[in-house]
Amino acid sequence: MLSFVVKRLLQAIPVLLLVITVTFFMVHAAPGGPFDKDRAVPAEVLKKLNAQYHLDDPLWKQYLDYLGNLLQGDLGPSFKYPTHNVNDLLAAGLPATLELSFYAIVFALIVGLAAGIIASLKPNSAQDYISMSSAMIGICMPTFVLGPILLLVFGIWLGWLPVAGWGQIPGDKILPSITLGFAYAAYIARISRGSMIEVMAQDYIRTARAKGLSNTRIILVHALRGGITPVISFLGPAIAGLLAGSFVVESIFQVPGLGRFYVTAAFNRDYTMILGFTIFFAALIILFNLLADIVLVWLNPKMRQELGGGN
Amino acid sequence: MSNNTLSAQLQNLEKGTSLTQDAFARLRKNKMAMTGLFVLLFIIAISLFTPWIAPYSYEEQNLDLGASPPSADHWLGTDVLGRDQLTRIMYGSRISLMVGFIATAVALTIGVLWGAIAGFVGGHVDAVMMRIVDTLYALPFTIFIILLTVIFGSSMLLLFLAIGAVEWLTMARIVRGQVLTIKRQEFVEAALSMGLPPWRIISRHLIPNVIGTVIIYTTLTIPSVILLESFLSFLGLGIQPPASSWGSLISGGVETMEEYPWLLLFPGLVLTVTLFSLNFLGDGLRDALDPRASRD
Amino acid sequence: MKPRVRLVVIFTCLLLLVACGDRKKLVDLGTEQQIMHISNAAEISGVDPHTTTGMPEYRIQMALFEGLVSKHPQSLEIVPGVADTWQISDDGMTYTFHIRESAKWSNGDKLIANDFVRSWHRALMPALGNEYVESLFVLKNAEKFFKQELESFDDVGVKALDDETLQITLENPTPYFLQLLDHHSMFPVHVDTISKFSAIDERDSTWTRPENFVGNGSFVINEWTPGKVFSVTKNAHYWDAETVKLKEIRFYPIEQLLAEERMFKAGQLHKTEWMPIAKIEKYKSSGATEYVTFPYLGTYFYMFNVTKPPFNDARVRKALAYAIDRESIAKNVTKGQQTPAYTLTPPDVLGYTAKAKMTYDLDKARKLLADAGYPNGEGMPPLELIFNTSEDHLKIAQAVQQMWKKNLNINVTLQNQEWKVFLNNQKLLNYQIARMAWIGDYVDPNTFLEIFITNGGNNRTGWSNKKYDQLIRAASSSKNREERYELFQQAEAILVDEVPFIPIYNYSTNNLLSTDVKGYYMNIMDYHPYKYIHLEPSHK
Repeated sequence: MLSFVVKRLLQAIPVLLLVITVTFFMVHAAPGGPFDKDRAVPAEVLKKLNAQYHLDDPLWKQYLDYLGNLLQGDLGPSFKYPTHNVNDLLAAGLPATLELSFYAIVFALIVGLAAGIIASLKPNSAQDYISMSSAMIGICMPTFVLGPILLLVFGIWLGWLPVAGWGQIPGDKILPSITLGFAYAAYIARISRGSMIEVMAQDYIRTARAKGLSNTRIILVHALRGGITPVISFLGPAIAGLLAGSFVVESIFQVPGLGRFYVTAAFNRDYTMILGFTIFFAALIILFNLLADIVLVWLNPKMRQELGGGN
Repeated sequence: MSNNTLSAQLQNLEKGTSLTQDAFARLRKNKMAMTGLFVLLFIIAISLFTPWIAPYSYEEQNLDLGASPPSADHWLGTDVLGRDQLTRIMYGSRISLMVGFIATAVALTIGVLWGAIAGFVGGHVDAVMMRIVDTLYALPFTIFIILLTVIFGSSMLLLFLAIGAVEWLTMARIVRGQVLTIKRQEFVEAALSMGLPPWRIISRHLIPNVIGTVIIYTTLTIPSVILLESFLSFLGLGIQPPASSWGSLISGGVETMEEYPWLLLFPGLVLTVTLFSLNFLGDGLRDALDPRASRD
Repeated sequence: MKPRVRLVVIFTCLLLLVACGDRKKLVDLGTEQQIMHISNAAEISGVDPHTTTGMPEYRIQMALFEGLVSKHPQSLEIVPGVADTWQISDDGMTYTFHIRESAKWSNGDKLIANDFVRSWHRALMPALGNEYVESLFVLKNAEKFFKQELESFDDVGVKALDDETLQITLENPTPYFLQLLDHHSMFPVHVDTISKFSAIDERDSTWTRPENFVGNGSFVINEWTPGKVFSVTKNAHYWDAETVKLKEIRFYPIEQLLAEERMFKAGQLHKTEWMPIAKIEKYKSSGATEYVTFPYLGTYFYMFNVTKPPFNDARVRKALAYAIDRESIAKNVTKGQQTPAYTLTPPDVLGYTAKAKMTYDLDKARKLLADAGYPNGEGMPPLELIFNTSEDHLKIAQAVQQMWKKNLNINVTLQNQEWKVFLNNQKLLNYQIARMAWIGDYVDPNTFLEIFITNGGNNRTGWSNKKYDQLIRAASSSKNREERYELFQQAEAILVDEVPFIPIYNYSTNNLLSTDVKGYYMNIMDYHPYKYIHLEPSHK
């Protein structure tokens, strides 16, 4: 297992290098530069600006300089936000994004598993159809629709919860977490329903029943242990996607997270910001996929040989 | 897996048609799936005949009328420029369904092949292929799309390719995971020991066995593709106004949902109905095609 | 299973209860404590007045800095700022300012005349990359210094005669010079503080972080959390601290227009920044007192690339201009206080209203089109209108598209583009018709009319007219207001005759403003100095 992890971590290096290289040349090829505005910038000023950030160097030199700085942990200055550098902004946005993602996952697990279990208890019954239909709505309702609807109902009409902010007014973290977690809850519900139905048909559940254990105990202790495994292997890539995909929720709810900066960086042509955030997300994706594979191996020893061998 | 099933598998290998025939018979018995299928066919039919049956022109404005709620003249109301919403949803379905199906097909083809090969061949090939997926996954999508629009201009073909290019990644990962699991199962090992060529094992054993997962995932991909289209239009790729699509109607409707709720409600409803039908059909197809189901 | 479900339900209810216990609205709390909550549209790129350009930045700089003079919050007439008195020489070339004795920096240092010399020296340093450097070129020799044709800053037209006397010499008699002094590019900065953290001509300096900052405005920085809030508190050292009633102002970077309105309704904001069209209509018809609107010094227009056919023919451009029913757009599409625009400069800019007009005249339009060789639109090559992506631009573009089709039988396709792609295409003249807008920097027709001078950086149409250039140049050296306005009238007439662009509407500001906010006056610059604002609970 250890050699497998080491190997995968080594493989991460070429992946990251490739991501950096492709992204670097892609952002520089995109039309418009970081200093283009609707109001024209005088040509001499533009020249000085480019000089200050070494954007007038040949591209290959800029690329090598960037890699050099990166090795020292320096992601460079932000062109759009000169008072801060990319490291600062990344560090500033990370806590909120992590917290939001964590709550979203917790919400998704609680609601998703509950719905999945309820549905699996009586397949093809009303309770099954209702929970699975809600799950389907959850899957098809994009966050940019769900967020505003929740806000309208709970924030404006009922006035129960704040409509924006993060840690400013009590309760302002509830709606963004639910909005972000909703679709994942729906996926988890669907996945866990399927696996629970399969597990409940297994012999050892029947044995447990015969022993006279309470229904709750059977479901939550015995069946869930088996039924949750596909959910866990779903969580790996899902968490990476969640972190990267939180930008819509962040902008609807004014959460000071990473997502907003990542999106606006692309529109601002803030080269170093785009690169810095891309590298960060790439590392996350690699990390969580690795975790997912480790869990997969752990759950299915047959694959150990496979992964440990060539991979 | 019992010996019985194993031999059934091997039998099916020799007479693949009976499997398909069985599947259709099973599908026909599934009421939910058939309802889904008919609703879908109905929506597709409407989108095909839209130019002849649409009550109004999709671009004809009535500025004095503006946004008006559903009425006898305009069953689903009108938008802020006074255009008939029913008409715009009907025209939108042509674009959205096309995007949904074609882009998903692109994603499906690449994703399934990529994932199946990576999972089946394993070893270094798998490592390289999956690391490529990781790399593509991490690239900034917005910049990629902006570049596409600048280099190639705005075209529908590009839209399909761009969406397909992103959506196949997850598909590849899912299929690979499934293939890795199935590969170690007895009937595949048996087929291998019988000396069947790999492509045959992939097409006859692996793909049928992962098809359930693939179908479910596909039914989930179609709606997200339909909505993704509106983001790409935002970046200037894809359809341009005054043409409409479900995605653009919904994202426009969100902005005015308090003032003109019908502008979000109806396109949202149509998309939801489509999605439900797809899901029921998908579930039915999976049950019908699942080799394990033939045990019953 | 059932008990578990109940547990989840109870847990959720508890969470909700915590959230909605008897909670005072942020706005009401703020009003009690004189803390104002404002939407600031976007995350600011910084507050250094010499390296920033945007409106969100300016709205904060207004609180943190003060120029030699300031504007009256309602009439926009010039009022004293850091300088309490000034004299203007007869030729309009030399200004002598007396710096008020009580002027101080926020660290308690006395603010002296030389601070302005050092600040403007810094603002003109080429390496700094000051994007608004051109507004300092009104100073004698400033442009030469910037272009390094001049070694020493001593020859630039700004001198400290003593600690309290600042003498400024201009390149031309610039009649709107006092207006310019209230622009952020002319604000003073504390050079000693900057040099503590970086070279003074370096952009990415940390001197504007809350813990480092020194300014001379009515407020100082309290907190700056990117993406969350920028907060300023009252500056005790400000010379007019007595007038300042607000204790704190919190600026929120809200990029989503809809989020603003929601936050306002939920009592989280005293003021929103902008409003989408659909909301305007709702508030207007409901007669809500919170909805405030006023004409704004800006013009929304479509410009032509005049270097390529068919728009190298003024008749075609004119035909398109005459075929737009601006009244209908203002009434049915933009819905706000926006007024139909018939010319470049908005009406009543310090007494100037353009006489020449591009009207809605279909007969004329059709005739011009026929004269140009496209009777009833026949033979017209494919046309494309580009605009940056936004629901509101889209609505207007679709309405105009329809009018051209109906009135002239001309088909124009629409193409929305991502912002920087759009700008790039404008710059390269890679378009046929493009959306554009201009907001005045100061209250004078010159801020609009100088756009279209030959090869001007903002003239992205390829249009050029010698007579026009002469008129604008003549106006900038004339110091008689009537004479200047007459020159501008002539220039405007050339624009209306040549039509390098089609005006669509003049802007208006549309905000939601809490009735608690007092001392907030409407004006065409959307200029609301915070020192005059205070909060008072209003009985709703």
